Amino acid sequence: MNRTEGRAGLDPVTVEVIRNKLDGIANEMELTLVQSAFSTIVKEGLDASASLFTLKGETLAQAIAIPIHLVTLLPIVRHLLDQKPVAEMKEGDAFVMNDPYLGGTHLPDIAVMMPVFHEGRPIAISATMTHHQDVGGMTPGSTPTNATEIFQEGLRIPLLTLMREGRLNETFLAILRGNVRIPDTVTGDLMAETSACSIGARRLQEVAATYGANFLASVFDELLGRSEKMTREALRRIPEGAYSYTDYLDNDGVDLDRKVPIRVTARIADGAVEFDFKGTSPQVRGPFNCVPSGSLAAACFAVRAVTDPEELIPNNGGCFRPVSLKLPPGSIVNPREPAPVGCRTSTIKRVTSVILGALRKGMPERVPADPAGEEVILHFGGRRADGGGFVTSQILIGGSGAAREADGVDVIETDATNCMNIPAEALELEAPIRVHRASLAPDSGGPGEHRGGLGAWLEYEILDGEMTATYRGERHFCQAAGAERGEAGGRASAEIVRGDGSVHAIPSKEVVRMQAGDRLIVRTAGGGGFGEPSKRPHDRIRADIENGKVTAEAAARAYGLPLRSVE
Amino acid sequence: MARGICYDIGIDIGGTFTDLVCRRPGESMLTAKIVSTRWNPDEAVMQAVRFMVENWNIAPEEVGRFLHGTTVATNAVLERKGARLGLLTTAGFKDVLEIGRQMRRELYGIILKPQTPVFLAPGKYRREISERIGSKGEEVTPLDEEAVRSAVLDLVEAGAQAIAVCYLFSFRNPAHELRTREIVAEAFPGLKVSLSCEVDPAFREYERTVVTAFDAYMKPTIDRYMERIEGGLRKTGIGAPLQVMQSRGGLAISSVARRRPVRLFMSGPAAGVIGGTIVGCMAGAQDLITVDIGGTSCDIALVDGGRPVIRPEGSIDGYTVRVPMVDVNAIGSGGGSIAWLDAGGGLRVGPESAGADPGPAAYGRGGEKPTVTDASLVLGYLNPAFFAGGTVGLDIDKAREAVGEKVAKPLGLGLEEAALGIHRVVNTQIAEGIRLVSIRRGIDPRRFTLVALGGAGPVHATALASELNIDRVVIPRHPGVLSAAGLLAAPIEHEVSAAFPMPLEQLTLANLREALSDLDGECAALMAHEGVSTDQVGIAYFADMWYLGQSYHLEVPIRLDEPDPLARLYDDFLEVHDRVYGHAAQVPAGIVNLRTIHSTAAGVSLGEGEFAAGDGKAVKGERVIRVAAEPGEVAARVYDRANMEACLRLEGPAIVEQADTTTLVQPGWTGEVATDGNLILIRSKGAG
Repeated sequence: MNRTEGRAGLDPVTVEVIRNKLDGIANEMELTLVQSAFSTIVKEGLDASASLFTLKGETLAQAIAIPIHLVTLLPIVRHLLDQKPVAEMKEGDAFVMNDPYLGGTHLPDIAVMMPVFHEGRPIAISATMTHHQDVGGMTPGSTPTNATEIFQEGLRIPLLTLMREGRLNETFLAILRGNVRIPDTVTGDLMAETSACSIGARRLQEVAATYGANFLASVFDELLGRSEKMTREALRRIPEGAYSYTDYLDNDGVDLDRKVPIRVTARIADGAVEFDFKGTSPQVRGPFNCVPSGSLAAACFAVRAVTDPEELIPNNGGCFRPVSLKLPPGSIVNPREPAPVGCRTSTIKRVTSVILGALRKGMPERVPADPAGEEVILHFGGRRADGGGFVTSQILIGGSGAAREADGVDVIETDATNCMNIPAEALELEAPIRVHRASLAPDSGGPGEHRGGLGAWLEYEILDGEMTATYRGERHFCQAAGAERGEAGGRASAEIVRGDGSVHAIPSKEVVRMQAGDRLIVRTAGGGGFGEPSKRPHDRIRADIENGKVTAEAAARAYGLPLRSVE
Repeated sequence: MARGICYDIGIDIGGTFTDLVCRRPGESMLTAKIVSTRWNPDEAVMQAVRFMVENWNIAPEEVGRFLHGTTVATNAVLERKGARLGLLTTAGFKDVLEIGRQMRRELYGIILKPQTPVFLAPGKYRREISERIGSKGEEVTPLDEEAVRSAVLDLVEAGAQAIAVCYLFSFRNPAHELRTREIVAEAFPGLKVSLSCEVDPAFREYERTVVTAFDAYMKPTIDRYMERIEGGLRKTGIGAPLQVMQSRGGLAISSVARRRPVRLFMSGPAAGVIGGTIVGCMAGAQDLITVDIGGTSCDIALVDGGRPVIRPEGSIDGYTVRVPMVDVNAIGSGGGSIAWLDAGGGLRVGPESAGADPGPAAYGRGGEKPTVTDASLVLGYLNPAFFAGGTVGLDIDKAREAVGEKVAKPLGLGLEEAALGIHRVVNTQIAEGIRLVSIRRGIDPRRFTLVALGGAGPVHATALASELNIDRVVIPRHPGVLSAAGLLAAPIEHEVSAAFPMPLEQLTLANLREALSDLDGECAALMAHEGVSTDQVGIAYFADMWYLGQSYHLEVPIRLDEPDPLARLYDDFLEVHDRVYGHAAQVPAGIVNLRTIHSTAAGVSLGEGEFAAGDGKAVKGERVIRVAAEPGEVAARVYDRANMEACLRLEGPAIVEQADTTTLVQPGWTGEVATDGNLILIRSKGAG
């Protein structure tokens, strides 16, 4: 059915049919990637993404399960198109790369890219990215919190040919296998990425066979142009101006007493937005540096969230044409090599909330107060008294910020990440730990006309032997700010109560030894409140007290009510 | 009266219509639709009974089986009409219900809503009890019985009408939960109680709490509902017991079903899938995709090897509930999906729907937005004078106006071109949806047969099949009442499962047999209520298995009749893992849960009775239609399904009209009426 080929105007029906197919193809690639992956972080954390790109390096369609992957393949595909002339690519070629300093993210994220051919010439790029379980370096998992150089974080892969006309690059695979702790899993996942790219290529070829390559190229232009137009229109609804906002990371895990400022100025003019990070901290010694792809993901997430909350704008590279970033060289958002970058998730989360904080000044009705925006990574590893080893992890988070029309949500994933917690029963089956509490932390939500979401309150007891606990927190020193006179959410805290009753406070990030009988008590941060606390209706305050979210004493304090009237 | 000549009655309550089917061996199946009584659903059941007595002259004592599929459980949740619930938990864990797994559903959302069903029991209705069972089932802290007494007293005073109990590790040692129920019963003998060790004895405390809380939440509602129907049947003189369709696709007697209301969530859709399965099997196909296109959504289900695919958990009102159900996947495209232009000038279809009210523009009930159904009318697929058997009049001018003004004009397209565009877009969306549902289960749709159900399924069936490279489509005799018909042929089934965490290396065959025999005892006790003889009951065993250290698991059949059942179990696990996940490593695996299923055999046909066509003309005439595959106007023969004899062959483009649906046969497809009356459509080679 080639009747549409060669027509001057594009038939809007065919354009929409093709758009649905492109989205379906990206989803099929992603599903294949997740289902055929070996590593648990992909299967359970869904830390993988799949995209189709034009030959100009713009996203046609992408499937992601966590926003941190949004457009992260883009700088890598651009690097490919810069380095390898399309004319020299052959059918059956595939390329591989993970180097953060060439467009990657952090070393565990390895990208695979494959040109898609129709009638002997390339028409698009099919690409996937997976968080691999290990890529070498100083610790298993390849995200050491105490790295001070990227060389400690694992194997750097520059842009290399993975397959040439269907033949695998055995030299590369040999080097890779020799440098990772679990070579079968890593190569298995790499092959899963390759087959997902092939599926994308095969299905796009079927579409090209129906509609012809030239027609398809003009449909791609049309789709990108439409999403750009819709995004620009939405951006025009934000009052023009420059909006600045600053927030902090607690520290970089190495210099524990130094807060790390992240500052952004959002300049909105003529249906476009520029995010300028002037004033942001210089790069840090620890691995919290974030290469540009991370801030790009954060910016694109924020723009999508504010311009298209109903998700009506087709998600492609056109949405991001009006977005530009200014990332000062040598800063934490644009580090110079060989700065370590492995733990940049905390930074991306803070960059996201800072960008949203800036945009809130232009559109307070669309953006809530600051979220806890912390993702505590807690690892327990050690030996039981009988000598058996174990390693287990937990991911803890806090509350979301309140909005103009609604309270924040208690203990909920926000912004760039979206991970599940580990049930107490699962943890206790895996390790000699007893969970004594997994509840909401009363009074941790920022007071306001709308209250911020509560943080969590957890208590773990070591039952047997000894173990190492790695705790990577945030918001111990810098609370989530309220908005429009709402107040800040509660601070996070973590302490170890030893068997002898002594207490050790954890300064946001630490690796500590624990013995049988020791308890670790964690409180995650609350979200900021929105609007003046004095405007909160009394029945809402009373309901909070009845439901155990706010204590009567705290309500009296925060909302200025005599204790009597709230009881 | 001898059982052989009794009538079997199937009644399925849907959102808009309550469907009624009735059959007796050797006679043609009778069908009827009556309007549902949403606010008092059991009323429609009684109306159906009266209809049957008055219009079909069936005496109540002639009813041998009375089978029912119902949306009452789902509606109780959607309308928040369940019980005021009190929840008891282990000390330190009362907020598990509220925190959940901490994920959000809207990836790009920043103004968030609670993601867990907190409405079941807000903080003030949750109480912590001092008690603790350890991970090996050992008692760490004894149950504080006094605390249970005062908590329950407190909750009842606060208005609690039912109690849910979920203590940590109760699936390992249920003693504290069982004792808690005794204490509640001592104080409040009539109060409904659901225990997590009985509702869902498996690990992960949030999932277990949610399913237990939903169970208790619906218990009083379901109880009243069943009581009213049972009472109504007795009053009418129907002595046959009430049997209800459960979410897995098996029937259970109401006295057992009401004990576990959480198993009724998919009651209606499950019956439809069972109906589709049997129709497919009648046509000689075991691997099926059933597609039920309604007003607001399209339900897709897979049948693999003659068995509907079951998933371990489902979704109710957006909340994940861990109860096994037929894997019905809803996507937001249906006959009522609205076509609109986005701000970039693109044509979009859905997800907004005109639903049943106001409905498509052609309904003339005030809807002005063009829908898929309006497009079907403009394209000539639907007969305005014979829609839903003539019960709903369609106004073609209103459909033309809506499509013309809202889509064709702004896009500079002709009217028919625009309508065709709406169909092409919605068909692409549904086809991509079917593709993803299949791939998620490790299934290649191309070798499957498509069974079209619901009022709108057969309009889209051949286009969808072409898009998916599927060569065969089956249109049942009565696609519009297939759920009710499915009830008549469904098996009676009871399922009991229990946590059984055990690495395969440590498992002995004796242990396994012992554990399964315990489950069999429980299951047989349930089956004993059904009044079927034991030689009619088949037993199947399953294990939920995983690689040690994984956190997801897969259901694998256990074959005790094999020479080495444990080796076979491991091999089968590898095979299932390979099919679903694309690989399977030879590394240690273990069992998570064990399950036994006792069931009677499903019917081999719907028992619609011998097929006999009517005396009238099979071909009603000819109509000009438009199709995507050919430009311009196309003349399609219009058939009257009621008069199409067995072995009648037809060639696309053609339209087949019947009271409950319209089938569009695209060019490139041929059709044949099977001897059992099902319409089989076959794609010619190369037809797109």
